[in-house]
Amino acid sequence: MKRFIPLFITLAILSLGSGGWAQDTIKVGVVGPRTGPAAATGKAFEEGIAIALEHINAKGGILGKKLEIIFEDTGGVPEKAASAFERLAIREKVPVVVGESHSSSALAEIEVANRYKVPLIICEAWHDDITQKGYKYVFRAGPANSGVVDFYIGPFVKDNGFKKVAIIRENSDWGAGITERTEMNLKKMNIPFMTLKVERESKDYYTELTKIKGENPDIILAYIYGTGLHFFITQANEVGVSPKALILDGAGPPSLWDNFWTNVGAAGELELFMSSMHEKVHLTPISRKFWDDYKKKYGKDPSDYKTRSIYNVILIAADAINRSKSADADAIVAALEKTDLEVTTGKVKFGLKPGTYEYHQWMPPMLVVQWQEKKQVVVYPKEAATGTLKK
Amino acid sequence: MPEFFMYVTNGIVIGVINAISAIGVSLIVGIMRVVNFAHGELYIFAGYFSYHLSISLGLPPLLSMILAIGLVFLLGLLMERTLIRPTYGDEMYSLIITFVLSIVLQNAALLIFGPYPNKPPNLVSGATNIFGLFHYGNQRLLSFFISIGILLSIFYLLKKTWFGKSIRAVSQDRQMSSLMGVDHYRINMFSFGLGAALAAAAGVILAPIFPVTPTGSSSISLNAFVVVVLGGMGSLKGCVVGGLILGMIENLGAAYISTMYRQIFAFIILILVLVFRPWGLYGQKA
Repeated sequence: MKRFIPLFITLAILSLGSGGWAQDTIKVGVVGPRTGPAAATGKAFEEGIAIALEHINAKGGILGKKLEIIFEDTGGVPEKAASAFERLAIREKVPVVVGESHSSSALAEIEVANRYKVPLIICEAWHDDITQKGYKYVFRAGPANSGVVDFYIGPFVKDNGFKKVAIIRENSDWGAGITERTEMNLKKMNIPFMTLKVERESKDYYTELTKIKGENPDIILAYIYGTGLHFFITQANEVGVSPKALILDGAGPPSLWDNFWTNVGAAGELELFMSSMHEKVHLTPISRKFWDDYKKKYGKDPSDYKTRSIYNVILIAADAINRSKSADADAIVAALEKTDLEVTTGKVKFGLKPGTYEYHQWMPPMLVVQWQEKKQVVVYPKEAATGTLKK
Repeated sequence: MPEFFMYVTNGIVIGVINAISAIGVSLIVGIMRVVNFAHGELYIFAGYFSYHLSISLGLPPLLSMILAIGLVFLLGLLMERTLIRPTYGDEMYSLIITFVLSIVLQNAALLIFGPYPNKPPNLVSGATNIFGLFHYGNQRLLSFFISIGILLSIFYLLKKTWFGKSIRAVSQDRQMSSLMGVDHYRINMFSFGLGAALAAAAGVILAPIFPVTPTGSSSISLNAFVVVVLGGMGSLKGCVVGGLILGMIENLGAAYISTMYRQIFAFIILILVLVFRPWGLYGQKA
């Protein structure tokens, strides 16, 4: 029996755990890919978390306690994402979880969030179903596929007089969802299009590009996330598809990674991408503060807009805990539903009408940006444009 | 019609690229009966070495490529001496060790080099119009010819030199070759290094076309294993033919069936070969 005593002691210590409502800190969970094909998003998240922590803790933390973040890796894999969320909910006992940038992972996490009744605020997973399912504990303060296509990509294609569209989309929940919505929009606008599906890990696009070339489109909507986008842009230029046809990166961040220009070279000129951040567009005072804080800490301008997205959702979570004054999930949900908070991309107010993707959803304004001589030029929407579209 | 020629050309180029990625695996399996699961990671490390030597240290691209291959060759020697040698005689142990090593190296790459894709500079830029039919990237064409050069050198090394003879002797009968005075420990160590250097050669040649990422290694290993199984374990000729078949089927399948199933074609081939001809096209029936 004696030899089991250390085991019991260890178990007892473990079972005490380190709850999210511990003595001197309040823990908030973050889920996102720190490994896998989109590990770069994990890095963007880490930077955003560091700035958010400094900002919130400098103002006295939450309810007089310091904010602490526990960042669990999902690897971009739904099963890993679900267990990462479980760990945060059960072992760390966090009162709220934020983050995520993969729709497939998010769709797995929302089930766990709903089961364990832990509020989850998604920032960068765009699939409509995430909020459309109407889960009480799931919120999204970020783009949704329908919003991005209906308000930005669709009108951008129409207003700029593009005559034929090629869609190339990866085999993922995000790729499928955004393509379906785009096809619906294009049909309504009577703009002919072709769609090609590719594997998420594809490297060689020569065959696809030859098919695209045969159809002679004037714009290609590239719904490919990660390294694949760099391959696609370079190869499109090699086989002579671009810049005759412009390429619009439907996600954005891969076009902004530090090594974008090293990887794509001259083929990057005139490439378009979606973004929610631009050096010259500051919708709120806190947007300017974020920019300055980032520059001070990292010695460069922020590039990946997901750094700012994670910063926003941490602010939203902190605000909800502050107002609810407790770790109770229902109280936090009630507080989130009454959110009226300025973040870097505008004033957050969640939709409350169930049955559509707009339930528990707040979408920041987006921008279509074009690389012109290695400078980011906002070309859409017109009211935010800093230049004109070059074809 | 130009489309068809484009698909076939790309099938051949990607086929030779497949062959060069797989030949290192085949060599190590053939001689040492060791399946190196960390093959893709050695490829990735070479890509990163070549990137950092040329971009961070400013060395000429060609010199960086050669140095990167040299570094990975040394890494291969070290791996054999410390991790693989104690496992000789038990194929399962070496399998587990290289599998674990692949995970460790993948995470090490993420930690050391970061998550972003990196691309060493191109040796040539632009594209060539092939017979007025289609445009094809110059870097790809150059990589194709360099790969053919490497394949020919390996064939020469193994078939025509004394060293090649000793390697083949060890792979055919380890005991007998020892009795004939061949130091099989040294041959094994050198062969593993050579296999690693071939992975590295593929890495440095291809990184300018397909930038390397820490997690990109699994698809490289997988493709290499499909080619090796298709061609026959340990057969170098099998590697070339297997690589070409795979490249061709992937491209024509993507063109005329669906782009979505490009990688599934590889698996279908793998299953068919394992069911109907498990020893591969040029392998020896056990």
